[in-house]
Amino acid sequence: MTDARSGAGTAVTSTADRFLAERRRRRGGSLAFAAILIAAVAWSVDVTIVEDTDWERMGSLAKVLEAAGEFVGVDWGLLPDLAEPALETFMIACLGTLLGVLVCIPVTWFGALNITPFKPVTYPLARLMMTLSRSIHEIVWALFFVAVVGLGAMAGIFALAMRSVGFIAKMSAEAIEDIDPGPVEAIRAVGGNGFQVLLYAILPQVLPQILGVIVFEWEINIRRSAVLGLVGAGGLGLMFFRQMNTFNFPGVTTVLIAIFGIILIGEVVSHFARKAVI
Amino acid sequence: MPILEVHELRARYTSAGPEILKGISFDVEADDFFAIIGPSGAGKSTLIRCINKLVEPSGGSVRFAGTEVTALRGRGLRSLRRNIGMIFQEFNLIDRMSVMDNVLSGRLGYTGNVRTLFRAFPRADIEHALQLLHRVGLEDHVEKRADELSGGQRQRVGIARALMQDPKLLLLDEPTSSLDPKISREVMGLIKTMAQEFGVPCLCNIHDVALAMEFCNRIIGLQDGVKMFDGPTEEMDQAKLDEIYAMEVL
Repeated sequence: MTDARSGAGTAVTSTADRFLAERRRRRGGSLAFAAILIAAVAWSVDVTIVEDTDWERMGSLAKVLEAAGEFVGVDWGLLPDLAEPALETFMIACLGTLLGVLVCIPVTWFGALNITPFKPVTYPLARLMMTLSRSIHEIVWALFFVAVVGLGAMAGIFALAMRSVGFIAKMSAEAIEDIDPGPVEAIRAVGGNGFQVLLYAILPQVLPQILGVIVFEWEINIRRSAVLGLVGAGGLGLMFFRQMNTFNFPGVTTVLIAIFGIILIGEVVSHFARKAVI
Repeated sequence: MPILEVHELRARYTSAGPEILKGISFDVEADDFFAIIGPSGAGKSTLIRCINKLVEPSGGSVRFAGTEVTALRGRGLRSLRRNIGMIFQEFNLIDRMSVMDNVLSGRLGYTGNVRTLFRAFPRADIEHALQLLHRVGLEDHVEKRADELSGGQRQRVGIARALMQDPKLLLLDEPTSSLDPKISREVMGLIKTMAQEFGVPCLCNIHDVALAMEFCNRIIGLQDGVKMFDGPTEEMDQAKLDEIYAMEVL
């Protein structure tokens, strides 16, 4: 009896010891981690801000505010010249999205597990394309296409198309993977072939969702195409760049207002278009 | 000669998985309304899907109208399937399409890809579809979307779609399990009347034993992938039912 109780007592003591030792060990670990984190932040601040900033050029706080103040004001005289590039930006976004959608058709087909034609090859291939498309920034795509097809809107269209494929195809493929298998079974049971299954059993289920994704991507593409001009791929971005280079800061503000305007239009259209399809 | 001869049919979903059907044999005659009863998980759905190869059998033979079907693939398989109509528990309609398009989809096995793309079905098909919709009592719902209908109406669309195929056999997979008892009896009655009218034998999975006894002339009972009973409906009695459903009681 006594033995059993002292046995239990020993067990409790050793468990408590282990518990406390574990606590101490964890506390030490957390402290070490915090120290490393603080050192890393301090080092980053030193390298990127303290050493890399032209403190003399910045001057006093007053001078900083004065420099920012130069952007206040609007160059109304520039407005008529913005109509054409604004329209171009808009068209680059539309055509880029459209081309992206066309490229998406095979990528989505290959990238949805339940319909991919030859799983070991086509599925990884499509997933690779989706990742590649999304991991490369639109400006980088645009630089690439400017190098390939030269300056102008076409490079912008190609860049947006490539950048859009990843998102649209990924969302569409995932929508297809989540369909209700019942209609597929029904169309197979009537003797339908693969194409008929796709057209009758799969597409009607996912079409609203895919159209919603396309409209969303189109809206984002308007934003993207507004900056593509920075690398010579046409549109409002080019105007922006020009105002910047000629130190016409109110002109920069004017271009920003124009960009804001077409993005706003895009959002309104997108809102109603998505409501209509879903 | 029986329209369907099933011999020693075996099925498993994965090569390492459990055997779902453990050697089932039976024949369906040209005028049969054939019921498969048994508890959940007995293999009823798997059995019926092995007939039109929605599930690949792992052994045994299925002969439909004298042709061995287990080895069929591609075009041959599709032309087998268009001769076998199927009606599903969850109806499996294309929700976003109209009732008419759903019924017409029963003709897809006879329709080329270009016609499919433009939904350009021949006039004869459209007339046949309208007649069938009239027969199942949906003449006022032709242009409605399938998801606007009630359960009983949706199953009527399923019946019309299956008959649209001009089938030589109807597979019914729990056709009434998603419906209330009154509608269930109506739907079973409609299937039986139309099957007799068109001269199509039926093979029907059914959970509801009372409905099976009322509508079917022949019954097999499955339990855990094994056939426990095979005979005319009159020979089925409570003792045999208790044996078939014994697993469920435990």
